[in-house]
Amino acid sequence: MLQTLLDKRTLIAVLLCAVAAVAVPILSLVVPPSSPLHMPPYVVALIGKYLCYAILAVALDLVWGYCGILSLGHGAFFALGGYAMGMYLMRQIGARGVYGNPLLPDFMVFLNWKALPVAWWGFQSFPYAALMAMLAPGALAFAFGWLAFRSRVTGVYLSIITQAMTYALMLAFFRNDMGFGGNNGLTDFKDILGFNIQSDATRAALFSASAIVLILALLVGRFLVTSKFGKVLIAIRDAESRARFLGYRVEYYKLAVFTVSAMLAGVAGALYVPQVGIINPGEFAPANSIEAVIWVAVGGRGTLVGAALGAVLVNFGKTVFTGALPEYWLFALGLLFVLVTLFLPKGILGALDSLKRKPAPPIEPADADVAPKIAG
Amino acid sequence: MILLQRFLLVCALLFSIGSLARADDFADAVSGFSADSFSATEKALDGVVQSNNARAAAIVEALQKERLFYAPATKQVVVKDASGAVLDAATGAKLAEAPTELKSVRLNNRLRRAVEAASGQMTLLSADTQKRIAAAQAVYKARDVAALANVETALNKETDPVAKSALSDARAAILLAKPGVSEADQLSAVTQLRARGDQEARAILSSLPDATPPAVKASAQSAVAAIDSRLAFWSNLQNVWYGLSLGSVLLLAAIGLAITFGVMGVINMAHGEMVMLGAYTTFVVQEYARAKAPALLDYSLLIAVPLAFLVAGAVGVLIERTIIRFLYGRPLETLLATFGVSLILQQAVRTIFGANNREVSAPPFMSGSFHLGGLEITYGRMWIVLFALAVFVGLQILLRFTPFGLRMRAVTQNRRMASSMGVDTNRIDALAFGLGSGIAGMAGVALSQIDNVSPNLGQSYIIDSFMVVVFGGVGNLWGTLLGAMTLGVANKFLEPFIGAVLGKIALLVFIILFIQKRPRGLFALKGRAVEA
Amino acid sequence: MSLTRRIMLRAAGAAFGGALALSAFGAKAAEDTIKVGILHSLSGTMAISETTLKDAMLMLIDEQNKKGGLLGKKLEAVVVDPASNWPLFAEKARELIAKDKVAAVFGCWTSVSRKSVLPVFKELNNILFYPVQYEGEESERNVFYTGAAPNQQAIPAVDYLMKEEKVQRWVLAGTDYVYPRTTNKILEAYLKSKGVKSEDIMINYTPFGHSDWQTIVADIKKFGSAGKKTAVVSTINGDANVPFYKELGNQGVKATDIPVVAFSVGEEELAGIDTKPLVGHLAAWNYFMSIDTPANKDFIAKWQAFTKNPKRVTNDPMEAHYIGFNMWVQAVQKAGTTDPDKVIDALVGVKAPNLTGGVSEMLPNHHITKPVFIGEIKDNGQFDVVWKTDGLVPGDAWSKYLDGSKDLIGDWKDKKCGAFNVKTGKCGGA
Repeated sequence: MLQTLLDKRTLIAVLLCAVAAVAVPILSLVVPPSSPLHMPPYVVALIGKYLCYAILAVALDLVWGYCGILSLGHGAFFALGGYAMGMYLMRQIGARGVYGNPLLPDFMVFLNWKALPVAWWGFQSFPYAALMAMLAPGALAFAFGWLAFRSRVTGVYLSIITQAMTYALMLAFFRNDMGFGGNNGLTDFKDILGFNIQSDATRAALFSASAIVLILALLVGRFLVTSKFGKVLIAIRDAESRARFLGYRVEYYKLAVFTVSAMLAGVAGALYVPQVGIINPGEFAPANSIEAVIWVAVGGRGTLVGAALGAVLVNFGKTVFTGALPEYWLFALGLLFVLVTLFLPKGILGALDSLKRKPAPPIEPADADVAPKIAG
Repeated sequence: MILLQRFLLVCALLFSIGSLARADDFADAVSGFSADSFSATEKALDGVVQSNNARAAAIVEALQKERLFYAPATKQVVVKDASGAVLDAATGAKLAEAPTELKSVRLNNRLRRAVEAASGQMTLLSADTQKRIAAAQAVYKARDVAALANVETALNKETDPVAKSALSDARAAILLAKPGVSEADQLSAVTQLRARGDQEARAILSSLPDATPPAVKASAQSAVAAIDSRLAFWSNLQNVWYGLSLGSVLLLAAIGLAITFGVMGVINMAHGEMVMLGAYTTFVVQEYARAKAPALLDYSLLIAVPLAFLVAGAVGVLIERTIIRFLYGRPLETLLATFGVSLILQQAVRTIFGANNREVSAPPFMSGSFHLGGLEITYGRMWIVLFALAVFVGLQILLRFTPFGLRMRAVTQNRRMASSMGVDTNRIDALAFGLGSGIAGMAGVALSQIDNVSPNLGQSYIIDSFMVVVFGGVGNLWGTLLGAMTLGVANKFLEPFIGAVLGKIALLVFIILFIQKRPRGLFALKGRAVEA
Repeated sequence: MSLTRRIMLRAAGAAFGGALALSAFGAKAAEDTIKVGILHSLSGTMAISETTLKDAMLMLIDEQNKKGGLLGKKLEAVVVDPASNWPLFAEKARELIAKDKVAAVFGCWTSVSRKSVLPVFKELNNILFYPVQYEGEESERNVFYTGAAPNQQAIPAVDYLMKEEKVQRWVLAGTDYVYPRTTNKILEAYLKSKGVKSEDIMINYTPFGHSDWQTIVADIKKFGSAGKKTAVVSTINGDANVPFYKELGNQGVKATDIPVVAFSVGEEELAGIDTKPLVGHLAAWNYFMSIDTPANKDFIAKWQAFTKNPKRVTNDPMEAHYIGFNMWVQAVQKAGTTDPDKVIDALVGVKAPNLTGGVSEMLPNHHITKPVFIGEIKDNGQFDVVWKTDGLVPGDAWSKYLDGSKDLIGDWKDKKCGAFNVKTGKCGGA
């Protein structure tokens, strides 16, 4: 059982994350800044951000890699989770805002709001906010999936309407009347759970939390896809009609995995916001969701670990490129999209596999190699 | 003009004694233009207009066309005529030697209004009917009480019906503004403006001077109410027109996408960039025309349409041949690859043309607007609507009556069957992709007239285009037409009530829900092939 | 088991290796130049406006180096691309300060980008020069606002229209974000204080990049037909302006009928429009390219030579960077060091000539004094100045016309506080 759950790659990834969760705080806090081994706090925040993206990628891989649902709207779940956390952090500022209003966040005072909108109630409590970071995306995904999967909207159509969903949310959150800070979003956070959000120790802690959540995401993901439930998912991905004719309620399986994935994306967003210090409607932009899909494609879809790897690699490349060759990074990103889909249809991990197993099966469906491994 | 001159001649004879002093006043007034202050210029203009001097009209015209200058050193005021010759403003004598430094007499909005009104008064008797009409409209807007005599003189002489009605409107407007006009005259003026029934008439009727007799005021109030209800009726039609024009833009942007999606089942995320390429082609054509062949500038759009088709079409074929054909049968991955292409194209255009907006000017036939009943229709939008319909009809003809169209429809309906019947599906794919991209390029030419020509142009239309295609249904261009127009009109009817943003959100939510009911859109292709 | 152990070792090695690599990536040897960070988007939607500012900064740094640098050292520009992505702004700001150790950063355009980097500048204690007109309601120790506050742009423009054009009816049209919302709020309060009735004010918000203006322009025309002189005050942002002005031109709204005064439309934006139908519409800025002073002529000549484009235009935010950069140079010379704490203290009270013939001063609230100009659009894409303030207007960090902020002042000299409440004598904020 453990062997199936923790295949070699997952084990490596889990251990890597575990080591990072311990080592990074040490390197950043204990090792003196003069030492070459010292990790500056901004690097901690940077890798922390990559890990959040990795969690989002794992969530996306669950639906796309294992169930064939290409969601171009996962950024919306990520952002909703982020907003839930952002609202908690805003409420924590309390009377320390520039206007000194103990109840209303600055931007509401600024726009002459008199009372706290209902949507903001309860967010002063961390457990409630944490719960909402999962429930809000989960509920949206459930409602959306309930409608979409039951009426058998599939393929490109589904991708387009998920994109419409995140686009509509972006427009809505841009409106100042929505009460979520409009274009400026939520920012200038002070502390989280009583700890100063800008201190190095908090950063290190948030990093470790992200690493641990990534481990959990990988484990939960593996558990799901290696279970009987996961096999049905793969059956749906490969031949939806056949699965249906065999008597499986395809829409419920899809709905379940879509909702779980959205909740996971929400957690990723909630971890992301305190580390980058801002959440605004730009996170709903359809291009962000598409980019997340590319991380999965680069790493290798239907592998979970690959998705996480892809997210970290692409974002690391983005960091380097936007600093070193700012004018050319869009060329690089665009080219990456094209080359990966053309030459690495199974992503990096898939390519590694075919290198090992010399005569690569040419006409197999994209992820045929996953199934036998699970069976064994 | 001749009349005015004769009139001036008589004046000159009659007041020959005072004429010296008059001329001095006039010269003084003209020299006021050299003070470089708006209030001095206003005074000078007033003096020139009041002087009835023969040069007055020429000076006002020069001022209007920004051809009135002064020399800062000598304070001499001069006029440059169309040929570039420099004349003394007051005398009209050609200067042998133009002053070395000339500064133009500057205008602000208030002065520009005064100049328009003055020029209106002075050209009321022009030989050119169009000028007379424009003059009457200028006087109508300015409502200058002093112009009444001139308007009445002109009205008596006028034979052209359009000019005549414009003049009587002007007269009515003045009568309502002038104190001491008989109540009966004012009442008939109200009736006159009520018949005119547009927003300007409403503006005049709702801002009568306080001293107006109560009967006139009451009559004006009922006229305003009548105009309002008339305008409300027309504003609904106007909304329909706005909707259709927005729908045409959507149709143009989406129809190419509908073709590639219909034939190949792939969503081309770089479609918006094809639109952008078309817009930039227009820009390049205009730049070229401006530099090399200014005579062609007015026709640049006509030249740009086929060129944009070719440029975007060629890029489309290139993308199909180098990328998409290797992804056949993997529509979702095509989506990702073309998204990459779109990033590359955007950045390429940004590198070549810069990140800034580029100026694409509107040719004369696309500028301005005309009235159709109570509708105001701008020429630019009208041509875009016509263009969109022409593209639609052209495509229908291509699909129905050409062998290529037949093959394309065959591939759309059942690729395998078509292939086994000997249709070269590879070639059809490439051509269909080129066709779809080319049409996007032509859409870009039209969009360059109403939107920014910038590297982000395509991005703003891509999601809307998807919505139209998904809503309208695949494989049937009528669906795209109906989808685009429905969304356009719905958008424009929602906008006044809930604002532009909420309107758009509402439509997106509507489409998401609609797709649940009809997963294949309004017009779905029937048959087994599409179900598979 | 042995497999597990091997994997574990490998994993630990990789993790340490990766961490090491990243640490090394962060550390760069110190050198004998003074680094200046430039944080402007070079890609994405904001590239349109911000790329120019990056070039302007490069030119200013280049000029300073020709004059012998600063404190005997050369200046070195560090350019990064935050790609119009707000979280990326914060990340890049952190990178500039922590990794590149810049002495000051010149950057940001949108309010949200400034809000996004703000915590970073506070935490790492560095200096940001922000060159764009904005909504005010902020005064931070680490930020110097060289663009206009609402009282340096919006209110003078409205005064002008009331006085010169006798405007009685107002359309406040803006993009739906914080700058237009606040500006309109301030203007509404101001207009009402001048006796304008609510029914004579129409407020309209549109989304970013709005391109279909048919309905709104028609509404404006309708609103303007009530018999009172009407004007539009536009806080419409960047990209949406071109279609807006095109629609105005097409529907025949002339400046002589309904003038539009804009706060976000400058020479750079007009370069993308055929301005012939727009002649006479207005803009309010603290600088226009057409202003005839020796300093401005010199600046334009240098700019066009630097960009190797004789048609390149200059605009207001560029001038703001020009002033800000010179103030920073002076403050560093005054302080004798680039240490942010000392430079921040030295900056208040520094005077630097602007390009329009005046001398701007850095005020204790970290805003500067600026002249206000009203320009009318000419057919060559330039502005003709039709009005200007007598002297320089000091920038208010907090608006007098908003309830929440009328008692607040920013004073970093004596009170050491960005939001000091003069009534309660308390310092709000952290």
